[in-house]
Amino acid sequence: MTTRRTFLASLLASAAAPRLSWADAGGPTHLAAAREADGAYALFGLAADGADIFRIPLPGRGHAAAAHPTAPEAVAFARRPGTFALVIDCANGTVAHRLTAPEGRHFYGHGAFIEGGDILCTTENEIETGQGRIGLWSRRAGYRRIGELASGGIGPHEILALPGDRLVVANGGILTHPDRGRDKLNLDTMRPNLAYLDDSGPVELVELPEELHQNSIRHIATDGEVTGFAMQWQGDLSDPVPLLGLHRRGEAPVLASAGLVDQLAMQGYAGSIAMAGGRVGITSPRGGCLHLFDKAGNFQESLSRSDICGLAAAPAGLLATDGLGGILTVTDQGLTPTRKAPRAWDNHLVRIGA
Amino acid sequence: MTHAIRRAALATLLLAAPAHADVDAAITDHILPGFTEFSNAANALSDVAAEDCTAQAVAPAYQEAFDAWMGVSHLTFGPLEDQGRALAIAFWPDKRGMVRSTVARLVADQDAATATAEDFAEVSVAGRGLFALEYLLFDPDFAGYDAGSYSCELVQAVSADLARMAAETRADWSDYATTLQTAGEAGNTTYLTEKEAAQELFTALVSGLEWTADQRLGRPMGSFDRPRPERAEARRSGRSLRNVILSVEALEDLARHLANGPIPETEAAFATVLDLARELDDPVLAGVADPAGRLKVEILQQHIKTAKTYAAAEIGPQFGVAAGFNATDGD
Repeated sequence: MTTRRTFLASLLASAAAPRLSWADAGGPTHLAAAREADGAYALFGLAADGADIFRIPLPGRGHAAAAHPTAPEAVAFARRPGTFALVIDCANGTVAHRLTAPEGRHFYGHGAFIEGGDILCTTENEIETGQGRIGLWSRRAGYRRIGELASGGIGPHEILALPGDRLVVANGGILTHPDRGRDKLNLDTMRPNLAYLDDSGPVELVELPEELHQNSIRHIATDGEVTGFAMQWQGDLSDPVPLLGLHRRGEAPVLASAGLVDQLAMQGYAGSIAMAGGRVGITSPRGGCLHLFDKAGNFQESLSRSDICGLAAAPAGLLATDGLGGILTVTDQGLTPTRKAPRAWDNHLVRIGA
Repeated sequence: MTHAIRRAALATLLLAAPAHADVDAAITDHILPGFTEFSNAANALSDVAAEDCTAQAVAPAYQEAFDAWMGVSHLTFGPLEDQGRALAIAFWPDKRGMVRSTVARLVADQDAATATAEDFAEVSVAGRGLFALEYLLFDPDFAGYDAGSYSCELVQAVSADLARMAAETRADWSDYATTLQTAGEAGNTTYLTEKEAAQELFTALVSGLEWTADQRLGRPMGSFDRPRPERAEARRSGRSLRNVILSVEALEDLARHLANGPIPETEAAFATVLDLARELDDPVLAGVADPAGRLKVEILQQHIKTAKTYAAAEIGPQFGVAAGFNATDGD
């Protein structure tokens, strides 16, 4: 809701601030958080070939970042169950705003911009009820909290914007409480879903078959038409369950697996997902492998790299990062290392302007 | 200078010191001999089976081959990762009983895949390797077969397939040793820096200890209210505890070769683990079914985790590596 005061404030803000673009931050194509050799943490802006464009120190370990679609601003989220997020001005390397989760809420580590970058959406836990919430923050009003939506499930993790300012959310289904850290409190009854939201809340919930109710839907990628979701299996390690789902609005999801040996090599864990060039990739840092599928869900190949996790679309296909500092491109020849940085890249690689 | 500062200064010194893990020693004195031994033992098993494929005749050679496998089963990267060999050699854990059902199907169908090595290599990994063989040789539902039966032929086929995989793995390690040793050199796209080779071996050490604690012991332990002795690894062949001991011995050997300095806490922790395990008179960990027996297994498990903690603390900093940054984060 826009009050007269915030309306005026936003007018003043837009009049006073020059309109900067990502070019003013050196034109990075990707963002990634990392732990550096001395143990400090930072957010990096990267060029399409993996070269460093900028480095901005972070106060602690980050999880993912949300990139503003046009302005050189990144929102870096603390690891779950963190209660703060930093809006970083990537053009001058300063913290422009600090978002604090409202009383009784914590962030889950991901966010997305809608309405041309005017509104930031954050995945949150309503601690008392354990219900997932999507926090809405107005950028024009200096990232003021302006409302929230139900996420449609428990444990919302990654969130992405879809065309038409719709949202798609991975509700992981796992109940946690900050008093218990990352303990999983409802493994027997968990029921994850993929939720599509409009400005009133969930409009379509996609669930898994009963026997897969322990397959936590955590990360998503979309081309606007097909949404891919990557899962983390909470059941027995020796179960070769699918870790990738592909979904079109209004249809049943297609669940995709590799052959038995490759599927077991993922160790029931997909850490990131991305789509590019007609392919979908999911990474398993535990298994040290990247699985590639076509968009119909047919398995193509498995590529090996220790502690691989970050994965994003790039101009030339898919780009991956790992905990050893490697930046790798996925080509027809396999995984080709393009850079080796002296730092451990964290879970996610984020495409700017995606 | 406060204690904390002194410690920080020491850590900096350690980080700044030349970071040479003894990758060469680990390869020459641990990895290559281990795979040679496994290949020899698998070959001997295949020879015995070719001569007399009855369960009684094959069992001793089977035990020796499994012993040798425990010397290398923690080296899951590279040649063992290639073509899914690690699983084709040892398909465990197997909560869904895929090995039993696959072996039962092969026997019921008298599947012609036993005819040639090429055909048999195409059989599901759940129907091959040490655990398929274990059903055939030790499970009362399978083991009573006669010489000249299909099951006897299947034992020969599984043994020959195992020997083939062991030999190919050993052969591939000759090249892969070079890949590890040339880490960081131009053209090496597997290990981008020297440190990555050390990291690979360090990860094998830490994950190997975790695997033995969480899977080999954790599976039969189940929960306090519901222990699962039937889930013990290789219980049909009576090897559950033996596998724990042999795996810890192999990991201790890797730790000693990999370290480039003294690792007193790690060695003491390994010694405690091995003492406890050897005193545990419970070959298939059946004791987990009652609280007193379970407690003993739990204590052993805790000491293996302690050994892991010390190994990570003493060996990791020697060359500036830690366990997987993302693999251990889990989100």
